[in-house]
Amino acid sequence: MQTIDLATAGGATLALLPEVVLTGAALVVLLVLSWRHTTAEDSRLAGYLSLGGVGLSAVALAYLWTADLQPLGLAHMIAVDTFRYAAVAIILIATAATILLSLQYVERERLLAPEYYCLILLAATGMMYLAGATDLIVSFLGLEVMSVAVYVLVGFNRGSVFSAEAALKYFLIGAFASAFLLYGIALIYGATGTTNIMEIGARLGQGNIPVLGALGLGLLLIGFGFKVAAVPFHMWAPDVYDGAPTPITGFMATGVKAAGVIALTRILFDGFSHSIDLWQPVVAALAIASMVLGNLVALSQRSLKRMLAYSSIAHAGYLLTAIWTGSSLGAGATLLYILAYVLTTLATFGILAALGRGGERDVTLDTIAGLGARRPWLAFALSACMLSLLGFPGTLGFIGKWTILMAIVNQAHAALGIILVLTSLVSAGYYLPVIMSMYMKPASATSPEGKMSGAGIAVIVVTVGLLLVFGFWPGPVLGIATNSARVLSGAVPSVNALVR
Amino acid sequence: MLLGPALALSAILFSIGVAGVLLRRNAIVLFMCIELMLNAVNLSFVALAQVHGLGGQIMVFFVMTVAAAEAAVGLAIILAIFRHTQSVDLQNINVLQG
Repeated sequence: MQTIDLATAGGATLALLPEVVLTGAALVVLLVLSWRHTTAEDSRLAGYLSLGGVGLSAVALAYLWTADLQPLGLAHMIAVDTFRYAAVAIILIATAATILLSLQYVERERLLAPEYYCLILLAATGMMYLAGATDLIVSFLGLEVMSVAVYVLVGFNRGSVFSAEAALKYFLIGAFASAFLLYGIALIYGATGTTNIMEIGARLGQGNIPVLGALGLGLLLIGFGFKVAAVPFHMWAPDVYDGAPTPITGFMATGVKAAGVIALTRILFDGFSHSIDLWQPVVAALAIASMVLGNLVALSQRSLKRMLAYSSIAHAGYLLTAIWTGSSLGAGATLLYILAYVLTTLATFGILAALGRGGERDVTLDTIAGLGARRPWLAFALSACMLSLLGFPGTLGFIGKWTILMAIVNQAHAALGIILVLTSLVSAGYYLPVIMSMYMKPASATSPEGKMSGAGIAVIVVTVGLLLVFGFWPGPVLGIATNSARVLSGAVPSVNALVR
Repeated sequence: MLLGPALALSAILFSIGVAGVLLRRNAIVLFMCIELMLNAVNLSFVALAQVHGLGGQIMVFFVMTVAAAEAAVGLAIILAIFRHTQSVDLQNINVLQG
């Protein structure tokens, strides 16, 4: 174990190594493409450079994780703990997969502006800051770095009116949500005199939460509710997911949601653990509304992309139930469920991108009819993804749901668990028809070929492989998730321990 | 000085911004209302900084930077949609439904 002083430039750089490396990579990509930005080859070069940046960042992360660093005193701006490392690892997986899936996609859809990859890297950097922040200022800046980059990515297909409309909707709603979040931060700062999450926890622990602080917490929850697309703040999600380029939809559904949920977990567990009675009912209400509405509306969708958008709302509900527990068991379940959801969703959107043309808005249950006979492996992969999203035993999605249920049962509060199980059953009503359509319906003449590049196949083989391997043998990931979440015990150190 | 009135004014400005976003239908007016919300929060930060020290004032600089970045991207997006629909009225921007 080694202590680092975050107040020095060297210490801060060391603690932020994955973020710094990724930012550097984004700048290198920007520099290279400033004179190479016309042909498909230039775009590919930017993609490979970005992948290299993600790889280097992963090396930096592995170093930090194994070095077992401890901050000297309180971590003022960024966490130096395993929960952050696990979150960064998940974000890097999502980023790498998105870049690999995009390599073929941008050429096919003629999105040949290599800034695409630079924006993905910058968005990933923002996600990493958001997920690791221990200060609400850093949370806000990370959120904005992420959001501004993703606004542009959503509207990246300039020739498509759908893409432009999705970008406008996402931008207006996202900026609206950021303002709520920011007002919440201001009120919490007013109530406690600090923006550091641990200090907020320590100061609120001294007595009842002031009205200003409670209001701030409410506004903060509204802001995060928009970002993770929880009902009733979800109305933008189906349209935006529908209109965005498909790899970007996957990136939003995985990276943005993961970073938001992890940041919310840290803020609620470390900053407001003494006010748990205040936020638990609110989070429970958001979770129940998201699970019920997301799953029921998904039943009526024909377009696969919109169906997956509603399913992602439902999954935000499952994740919020894990946060609701307020225990480190729940935080571990959050991490594991996010990993399962990220792997599954990336593979699903990768397959979806291969099945359609022009934004994949027209891929429906009829389009994929008979896929099982023509492309057996692709159909198998999509089936595995649907079963994992459903939470079918033998997949990582099941392990994720099971750990969430364990965390809920541990709180001796069955109602939320029962709703989770029942709504999961409902979700079989839209996941299973996908599988039935692929294997039991005859193919039509207009069925897509489903051509994939080597990189795309690699992503799907790896993600689906991990889903199934960890589904049967969950020990390692379960251990990592539980251990990583142990730092969020919900126990707040006394004020004396914080003031050095 | 004037902490209470400043916070009240900030809350009023923020509410006007929220009302504008919810009631108006023009994308640019919506965007102006969002800017109003952000600047209302800035007023809160500056007012609270009198009580709690410099942190609040520093936050204002970050918020101004973020607002500028959002303005750059937001106006570009509004321009992109105008090229397609010849309108920035949200009532005319509804091809995504289902």
